[in-house]
Amino acid sequence: MYLSDLKIGQKAIVLQASISLPVKLYEMGCMPGEEIELNYAAPFSGPMCFLVQGTLISMRKELAQLVPITEPNVKSLTNG
Amino acid sequence: MVDKKALRVALVGRPNTGKSSLFNRLTGLSQKVGNYPGVTMEKRTGLIKLAPGVLAEIIDLPGIYSLHPSSPDEQVVMDSFLNENVDEKIDVVIGLADGTNLKTCLFVFTQIIDLGIPAVLAVTMSDEMERKGMELDVLGLSESLGVPITLVNGRLGHGIKELQDNILTASVSQNIPFFQPGGLHLEWINKVSEDKNFDIPYKSWLFGLRGSEYEELISSTGKTIARARADEAIKRYRRVNEWLREFFVTHPGKDRRWTARLDRWAVNPFWGSIILLILMFLLFQALFFGSEAPMNFIDDQFAQLSNILKSNLPNGFLSHLITNGIIPGIAGVLIFIPQIAILFGLISLLEESGYMSRVVFIMDRFMRPFGLSGKSVVPMVSGTACAIPAIMSTRNMENSREKWLSIAVAPLITCAARLPVYALLISLVIPDQTFLGLSLRGLVLFSLYMIGFFAALLGSAALNKIMPEAQSNPFLLEMPSYRFPQLRNVGHAIINRTKSFVTEAGKIILAISVVLWFFASFGPGKTPDFTQDYEAIPIEDSYVGKMGKAIEPVMKPLGFDWKVSIAVLSSFVAREVFVGTMATLYSVDDNEKSSIREQMAKQKDPETGEPYFNLAVGVSLLLFYAFAMQCMSTYAVVARETRSHKFAAIQFLILGILAYGASFLSYSILA
Repeated sequence: MYLSDLKIGQKAIVLQASISLPVKLYEMGCMPGEEIELNYAAPFSGPMCFLVQGTLISMRKELAQLVPITEPNVKSLTNG
Repeated sequence: MVDKKALRVALVGRPNTGKSSLFNRLTGLSQKVGNYPGVTMEKRTGLIKLAPGVLAEIIDLPGIYSLHPSSPDEQVVMDSFLNENVDEKIDVVIGLADGTNLKTCLFVFTQIIDLGIPAVLAVTMSDEMERKGMELDVLGLSESLGVPITLVNGRLGHGIKELQDNILTASVSQNIPFFQPGGLHLEWINKVSEDKNFDIPYKSWLFGLRGSEYEELISSTGKTIARARADEAIKRYRRVNEWLREFFVTHPGKDRRWTARLDRWAVNPFWGSIILLILMFLLFQALFFGSEAPMNFIDDQFAQLSNILKSNLPNGFLSHLITNGIIPGIAGVLIFIPQIAILFGLISLLEESGYMSRVVFIMDRFMRPFGLSGKSVVPMVSGTACAIPAIMSTRNMENSREKWLSIAVAPLITCAARLPVYALLISLVIPDQTFLGLSLRGLVLFSLYMIGFFAALLGSAALNKIMPEAQSNPFLLEMPSYRFPQLRNVGHAIINRTKSFVTEAGKIILAISVVLWFFASFGPGKTPDFTQDYEAIPIEDSYVGKMGKAIEPVMKPLGFDWKVSIAVLSSFVAREVFVGTMATLYSVDDNEKSSIREQMAKQKDPETGEPYFNLAVGVSLLLFYAFAMQCMSTYAVVARETRSHKFAAIQFLILGILAYGASFLSYSILA
């Protein structure tokens, strides 16, 4: 599952990606182990806006498709 | 010059942490706007007195998410910190942290204090923390960080005095480093330290990871640069999270309620678009109509001044130069102030309130195919009033690629100065008929606006294809919480932008207008009669006139005779000058447009005997004005904003070629 699969209001936990993602993502707070929620999305596959670590971060769908996530209840399996 | 003894104090923090409010509070009206060497970014500084005999230069560094640069803004900040030059070295850092968003702010702050620079932390938005029921153990966190913390409120000015006292006593934290780069990386870090003479390993770490210079050495550790940076982020956040668990209490749920409520409308696919449309329409209205009265006022005052001087100064070259060259030139600079002030006031309101990020969010999808981002909407909309403020508004865009594209195509948008030209030509060659119940003339005018818009968008898309794919900045945008804009900050934005326009682009505009005045008033071997009854030389005898005649063969394929060529050349002062030049050439009263039109309508083609201004010539001229960068002020502003006369010259040339091509095509088809 990836960030882009989330429905509005749905929460998940960010997983460690196997490919190299923009580091800015981490530095803005979107890191493995953190809870993330899709707050809203722009129409026509526009940018998506997520709440993570108390910050709202928007990214384009192409990037959201690369960030792996998992259901919140399996949080214990991930390590920060 | 700044006193050498002044402490150099840098303000650093994430964007949207109230940095400009604090800067304005600290420096008041003593601030200066300059530029960072080699980049187009603004550098705001202010000199203040911290204590008797102690001066401090406060430097407002751009907002950053990390010391590792992902954008030109962050590059500037990192360069400032790695600068070991004694005269430019930063003595003290004021780190900023939004109290309602401490986690990500502290992440950056730990990077900064790890540089081994004396630091203090200012926690902003203390009033909002209180309202949201957040509590921070200031002493506890201060002890863990090893630096003093001040709660400040930029809006009310609370905590400023305490912060100033803390700057005086600031020292390097004894608890650093919070992140110790080492292990696998020690080898290359030592190499960088040796090469660059860095005293702190973290500086070498930053320097090494920033580019390709040490890439090979780094990859021999088995880690990529991105991986190394990600490891650092994870370790730092782990530390910050520990502190927050210990020293910070929050009651989630209360937080962000207002922002969420407003966002329900602001980013709603339907209502959000409507709100954006209305706001952009209002921005256009304010720019277009709000500036009318003050612009007329400036125009009238300078015309009066010119007349007063004319009747009081002794006749002669100097008086002519002052009244016809310099004063209109200065007026030509100041005339833009109302539009610039209005636009930057409004932009600053949008940014301050947090809405600008929503504009980018909504528009991104539509602007992306053209290589632009959501932020390009503002220059596009303002361009319909005038390209000058539109190009200046790109200063608020961080991504330099989108910024350059926006600047490149902004002059294509139909600006207000084209209207008098369009109106005259349309009434001359388009019959006053209706088409499908709509005025044909209105339709043509509308088409010209559309041509401008589409030319700008397609031009940008084409340039985007050609431009080499630089290291692309990921589109990652923080949506700040909505805040009530602070008028103090809006005021500072207006003053700073206006000042920089007058002192930077203004100089070029004044210089060009004096040169153009000379070309229009003098001719080869001809000098106007400067005696009692001043008489100008006929425009066809002036240098501009001679040039117009000289380029007639080149302009003939477009249907332009020498008179039109002269008018086109002299419009470089400003497009609307076309109308005045036409009036002079056909010797009619400047102010009565109807009579200019009649005179022009009477002109016959010497070869056919038919009216000269027929549909083919008219459309050709209209298209020429739609594409050509017929405006020295635009040239001046582009040259200033891009720091490159080359960019402006190439842009002028390409738009000129486009104009020539469009006119040539249309004339070939219609004639």
